[in-house]
Amino acid sequence: MAKPKILVLVAMATVGLTACGNTGGGTPTANKPDKVQIAAEGPFTGDEASIGAGALQAIQLAVKDFNKAGGVHGTNVKLLVWDDNHSPQTAATQQAAGISDSTVLGIVGPMNSGVVLGTVQGLQGANPPLPFVTESASNVKVTEQGNSVAHRVNARDDQQGPADAKFMIDQGAKKVEVMDAKSDYSTALADIAAKYLADHAPSITVQRDSAQHGQTDFRTIVQRIKSFKADWVFFADEGTETAPFVKQLKDAGLTIGQNIQFLGTDGEDDPTIITNSQGAYLGAYASNITPDPTLVATAADMITRFKNEYGADSIGKAGPFYGSAYAATQVLLQAIANSPVNNGKISRADVISHLASDTFQTVLGPVKYDSKGDVATVAIGLFQAKGTDMVAVKSITG
Amino acid sequence: MDYFLQNFPQQLVNGLETGSLYALIALGYTLVYGILEMLNFAHGDVYMVGGFLGAGVAGLFVHNGVAAVPAGLIVALMALACMGGAGLLGVGIERIAYRPLRNANRLAPLITAIGVSLFLRSIVEVQVSPAPVLVPSNALVPQTVIQVGSVTTPFMALALFVASVVLMLALDVFVFRTRFGTAMRATAQDREAATFMGIDVDRVIVATFLIGSALAGMGGLLFGLTFATVNFFMGFLIGIKAFAAAVIGGIGNVRGAMVGGLFLGVLESMVGGFISTAFQDTFAFLALIVVLLVRPQGLFGQPLPDRA
Repeated sequence: MAKPKILVLVAMATVGLTACGNTGGGTPTANKPDKVQIAAEGPFTGDEASIGAGALQAIQLAVKDFNKAGGVHGTNVKLLVWDDNHSPQTAATQQAAGISDSTVLGIVGPMNSGVVLGTVQGLQGANPPLPFVTESASNVKVTEQGNSVAHRVNARDDQQGPADAKFMIDQGAKKVEVMDAKSDYSTALADIAAKYLADHAPSITVQRDSAQHGQTDFRTIVQRIKSFKADWVFFADEGTETAPFVKQLKDAGLTIGQNIQFLGTDGEDDPTIITNSQGAYLGAYASNITPDPTLVATAADMITRFKNEYGADSIGKAGPFYGSAYAATQVLLQAIANSPVNNGKISRADVISHLASDTFQTVLGPVKYDSKGDVATVAIGLFQAKGTDMVAVKSITG
Repeated sequence: MDYFLQNFPQQLVNGLETGSLYALIALGYTLVYGILEMLNFAHGDVYMVGGFLGAGVAGLFVHNGVAAVPAGLIVALMALACMGGAGLLGVGIERIAYRPLRNANRLAPLITAIGVSLFLRSIVEVQVSPAPVLVPSNALVPQTVIQVGSVTTPFMALALFVASVVLMLALDVFVFRTRFGTAMRATAQDREAATFMGIDVDRVIVATFLIGSALAGMGGLLFGLTFATVNFFMGFLIGIKAFAAAVIGGIGNVRGAMVGGLFLGVLESMVGGFISTAFQDTFAFLALIVVLLVRPQGLFGQPLPDRA
């Protein structure tokens, strides 16, 4: 059933592209760029591979689908893989190679806010600047520094934090423990959620704590939570610390779903936490800066192709960002395809101006950027740990 | 004040349990420093490898949370693998990375130690697992929570404390009451003179690495069973904390390392519990600086003689 569907899609896309080429004036071959490269960047190995590996699969699939549909006026796009291992230093080294090659027209990623913030000046300062579309960097500052290279398809922390806080208010929270794990991403998000709670529900008391990246012993914090008599824990985290934390909550008599509720963020939308916490995570909620593709009708075909490519159980293992990674790749590739070809070359400056002006069709819906590189309304996905999976519950907004 | 009184006993217990692990790791730093006057920065990663060896053995016998053979036997095999594997790893590191540099500039072994540390971390990350690995502790050790008054502790956290203290006492007896321990102390005092007295210094050094690393391996196992997880970067932070504990106690001094570890654990727990969890580490390292300023030789160390 899936195959004919793909063929129809490919055919439609090819017809569409050919049509575009013709209306542009010259014949498609005259407009054919010699070489088009984009890079996928993120933590594809390392301690955050659980979010990076699935995103990379989605990017590879998106490029493959795009090339099948004709590529950029007949030229296949080559995908470079830059594994930054969640390190700005590693990222900068890899980006340097791309910056000096004018056929590298953009980056899908970097995935981590900390990596974006550590490298964005280099990308903006390059000659010509190298644009990126991230699928998961949510720190507000990513697009707030006036850089024309910065774009994202996911929600910002100041969209997610309020949505998370509002969800807890709606659920009747009275005492909320707000925690971060001391990173650009988690501290900002926890602060935003805490502020929203203070501004919109002054009757709710908030206790604020910080964990360490890589922390496994949480008993000091757990005791504080117990003593505070929290009914909700909001832990903004990239996911590595969550399993031991929730297990120690349970050891201390605080069972999620019974005498305490738990809301995590994107990195915690990860079913391995259920196993690694020996089930203590069951019942916990996690929000995500992108909606779950399985709840988005336009993503159905992509999910089918993803399963065909990587196996029937691949979606369950793809982590929280495969949908946004596919969408971010579509945005970048469409911006490239919309850019003019001069003497077999596409300029990055044109790609940047098309990113700013065009509307892009993605599996998660249309994307149109504001002047900063943000999408005005992005649904926040809400998931719950049930059985052995994170199950999509609904979409929420702030 | 009420808040303090209500929470103090629990935070004290938490701190002692955490500190006992610091102390166990700190012993490795202090033993090696005592004998060779070098900082074995790879020690934290030996502990990490120990943790992974334990997880590996557990993985062989436990499937879907069910142990194939008696849990006690599995834990014993894990202990053997952790202590044996980590001990041999320590000896191997000494042979390959430190011994050739024994008479080199003092900075040289420090650099190789950092190199070995990064090497071990990368190998485990790439070859074993970049993500945290589950230790199926629920199939191996009781999951009961012990309650005394208002204080609770999971069985395994208490076991970690007890096992650490027992191992530390055993080491203390070994160093201060046995012939080989005397040889170790003699080597620590003056390597050259010890050689003249007929002590096989190389053997003492190998034994030191074996013991220190085996203790770290045991620490890795206890950690895995307590927190049900191991990861490739778990040795980094605890390595630095244990090093700080060793320095606070007086580096080179076995009893000092034990006290330093417990002190640091309790300090962290108190700062986290009553001041701010965000500043736990800041205070831990502040304590290190204060101790170094006020008492450079550490709490239990002998004042360092001036050397030419």
